Amino acid sequence: MEINPLGLTAALTAFLAIWLGHVAVRKVEAEARDLRIPILIAIALGLLTEYCSLITDHLSLKTALGILGVTLLWDAFELHRQENRVKHGHAPANPNNPRHAKILAEHSTATTLDLLKRNPVGRPVPPDEAPKLIHH
Amino acid sequence: MNPFGILIGIVTLLIIGLGFPLVIRGERYFGYWSWPYMMGIGFLVIVVSLFIQNDWGSVVVGVLGATFVWGSTELKEQAVRAELGWFPFNPNKIKLPFAGVIKKWRAPHL
Repeated sequence: MEINPLGLTAALTAFLAIWLGHVAVRKVEAEARDLRIPILIAIALGLLTEYCSLITDHLSLKTALGILGVTLLWDAFELHRQENRVKHGHAPANPNNPRHAKILAEHSTATTLDLLKRNPVGRPVPPDEAPKLIHH
Repeated sequence: MNPFGILIGIVTLLIIGLGFPLVIRGERYFGYWSWPYMMGIGFLVIVVSLFIQNDWGSVVVGVLGATFVWGSTELKEQAVRAELGWFPFNPNKIKLPFAGVIKKWRAPHL
């Protein structure tokens, strides 16, 4: 039976693009003073990547670029969602970023603590205990 | 101009979207120590994609496998979210075989 590597190409591209986007969204959102700039860059890169996918004749490249472009467009939306997570305290705020400092001042739920940076303990954790469990 | 890549991108987005309930429900019912099972299923599905001759079929199955592998790396963080009350916490999880051994391993997180 002949091997079709297109699915593997798509799987690798999807995994790496999700990983890259996952890390980049958190870093960029924490550092950007004006979130509109990285959102516009992600949209522009996503559209450019989709255009490249459209004009190339190489099937594997066309597939990889198509997936990468869509994940970049999704990352633009995730930047906005990440800011909302910071407002809710579900992602740590960066007090050195004026935009985040404003969020910390305006949203009582916002925190500089990364409450997810720990191992599970197997039971519900009350809010006052959660900061003590964080790995420093 | 062939829109195959763009259409694959859109389908990929929909399949990745399935990853959210997969992680939430997977952690809720089986616990984060189900991660090797989810990862194993993902790799197996990717291997299956190699033997699908139809390009659309191979890509869809490949991306589905990648979603399972990625989901396995998200289970630990999802368990913490549930403990914090951001998602419903299920104290009566189904214990899969070797759960006790797997708990001693370091769960992957990217």
